[in-house]
Amino acid sequence: MKTRTKALLAFGGLVVLAVIVNLLVPSEGKNEEFQPQNEFKLDPWIPLELGPFDMSINKAVLYLVLACALTSAAMLYIANRMQGRPNRVQTAVEAAYDLARNQISGSNMDSRMSLKWFPFVGTLFFFILFSNMIGYVPLPTNSEHTFSLFGLELPSFAIYAATANLSIPLMLTLMVWFAYHAEGVKAHGFVGYLKGWIPAGTPNRLKPVLFVIEVISQFVRIVSLSVRLFANILAGHLLILFMGGGLVVLLGLAALGVFTLPLAIIFFMFEIVLIAGLQAFIFATLTSIYLGAATAEGH
Amino acid sequence: MPDIGSMLEIAQAKTTADGLKSIALGVGAGLGTIGPGIGVGYIFGKVIESVTRQPEMREEITSIQWLGFALTEAIVFYAFIFGLIAFFL
Repeated sequence: MKTRTKALLAFGGLVVLAVIVNLLVPSEGKNEEFQPQNEFKLDPWIPLELGPFDMSINKAVLYLVLACALTSAAMLYIANRMQGRPNRVQTAVEAAYDLARNQISGSNMDSRMSLKWFPFVGTLFFFILFSNMIGYVPLPTNSEHTFSLFGLELPSFAIYAATANLSIPLMLTLMVWFAYHAEGVKAHGFVGYLKGWIPAGTPNRLKPVLFVIEVISQFVRIVSLSVRLFANILAGHLLILFMGGGLVVLLGLAALGVFTLPLAIIFFMFEIVLIAGLQAFIFATLTSIYLGAATAEGH
Repeated sequence: MPDIGSMLEIAQAKTTADGLKSIALGVGAGLGTIGPGIGVGYIFGKVIESVTRQPEMREEITSIQWLGFALTEAIVFYAFIFGLIAFFL
């Protein structure tokens, strides 16, 4: 059978399935009750307000604590039972550690800086990786909808990631931003560091203009580094939410699910396999590039 | 920037101006995908070209490829996020 025939047959099958589903489950009209944005709403579980600061314990805090605990536990567990003949888990963790050490921090900073900042960069990498990964595991965190199990009211299973909330990537980014400026000032002195922003050999007339552009670009780094991580994860979760049932419930059209559910599965796999790891890698790599550039000798 | 929940809540207001704004957001975010689309295609095309020329450089090229891919791909989301900001502010 030719590939084209197969593809046409598969598409025809989907259309037939959609028609059957449409006949069995008639359209219910638009659903006004379901609020998809509540998936990302942070309900305070334990209200805790300290003056102007809202320190309530909510879903994002739970995911943050989970990611921290998982990162530390996994790394300590592997480190305490290192073996000469590694099993599969140890091999995988060793490969990730090697990636963080040699590819991410080793190749972007000189050896002294790399030795000093590898713990920070490696921690960022593993923390973001775990934080993204547990974002795709359904956990009983949806306190809006509940289901009963043996007479026990439990929150529904939902997916959410700490990094799909702007505050957490922004906090990480600010840490990185201040760290690399501090390293730069330490390496070249304050005036020397600012002078280092202007490329050598610039005509004197152009220097102020270039300096202003460079200052702007330093601040844009805060936005780009945090929004890159936040928006990637948020867009992935939105896609999974709408394709995996959100659209069907909103429009009350069961037949649509025949087309969107396979798409949801594809996006889910794509997010887990590529985006979750890649965003952690990118964040850590850019951190070490910034750190390396701030301390590099001469521009 | 308010959290995404309250942002989407405002998005459901039903006046003509809001409708036009949603269309603009959709069109803007859609147009914003064109550039990164070309960019991602260009990156992978160049990677294929370089690997066929120098297969022994494959490892190095692959690691740079993912860096370039992620940097380019993120631009879609900048368009989307700035669209959202223009929409709500």
